[in-house]
Amino acid sequence: MKYEVFARLNAGDQTTYIGNVTAQSDKLAQMYAHNTFDEEDWDYLAVVRANDVHEVNPDAQPTPEVTPNE
Amino acid sequence: MSDWPDQAIDYVQAIHDTKLVLGFRYGQWSLAGPTLEDDIGGSSAAQEEIGHVRQLANELEAQDRDDDWLKGQRDPDEFANAASIDQIDGEWPSYIASIAPADRAAWYLLDAIDQDGLDGLITKMGEDEYFHLEYHDARLETLADEDPETIQQTLEETLPQALAFIGPAAYDDAEDPLLEAGFTDRSIADIRESFIEHYQDLFADTAVSLAAVDWDAPASEEWDETRRRVDSGSISETELKQIRGEENEQFALH
Repeated sequence: MKYEVFARLNAGDQTTYIGNVTAQSDKLAQMYAHNTFDEEDWDYLAVVRANDVHEVNPDAQPTPEVTPNE
Repeated sequence: MSDWPDQAIDYVQAIHDTKLVLGFRYGQWSLAGPTLEDDIGGSSAAQEEIGHVRQLANELEAQDRDDDWLKGQRDPDEFANAASIDQIDGEWPSYIASIAPADRAAWYLLDAIDQDGLDGLITKMGEDEYFHLEYHDARLETLADEDPETIQQTLEETLPQALAFIGPAAYDDAEDPLLEAGFTDRSIADIRESFIEHYQDLFADTAVSLAAVDWDAPASEEWDETRRRVDSGSISETELKQIRGEENEQFALH
């Protein structure tokens, strides 16, 4: 399962996307993220299942329910 | 100058020796994990254990333990490491099921020490150990699903060895000499209870059965208090030579 990894350096900073890990469980993903992204002393480090990240598309258009030729 | 009771020096020595051998094992297996992340984790743990060893060696030197002896100038049977990491037979699942109980047992013993001068040291080590132990549990959970037979067979051997490293159940609130001396703040019996409960909970809903584990080990009359085990085994002479790194001295800058 793929997990997206988010972090911030200091309390109050914006939380940013820093990469991803693949793991078989949430707990294992947390440990992988800790070990893999240990180049900074993070104030906050979190993993989110990639399947649970739902993109919001600002350019999306409504689909017409009835087309002009119908 | 020594100011700890002799039994306390042996107790810290056993934690030191277990961490020394754990660091060696982590390094030895750090390219054998199923993923790059497992290898990175193993390499990190190796460095952290060796860092802990150096700090504990300083404390033991202050209690009159010889520096060279601490670094490995001694016979294999003078090492007081947990017996479960004397040697690791098998593949990666066996390795995880061997080191995990030893690392957890060493942490429980360390965390029980109640000495003002060691508080900061133990807190820092605890920050490292949190990630070692959480990682082990996460891996044991996945392996319990993927290879329950190997995990069960290995734990039937390594959990009693880790319990022997912790100490006998007879060392309860009334009988534990280090609790009595004020060196620790909880009895060996209490530490054993936490340790046993942890693994029983961890595997409760898995395909791994711990029903055949000897939870009463070690028998008090068979227990070697200095080496914290019941058997006469040890790491091999060859591995001790590697740990000492004596043949590397010719490459050292002086």
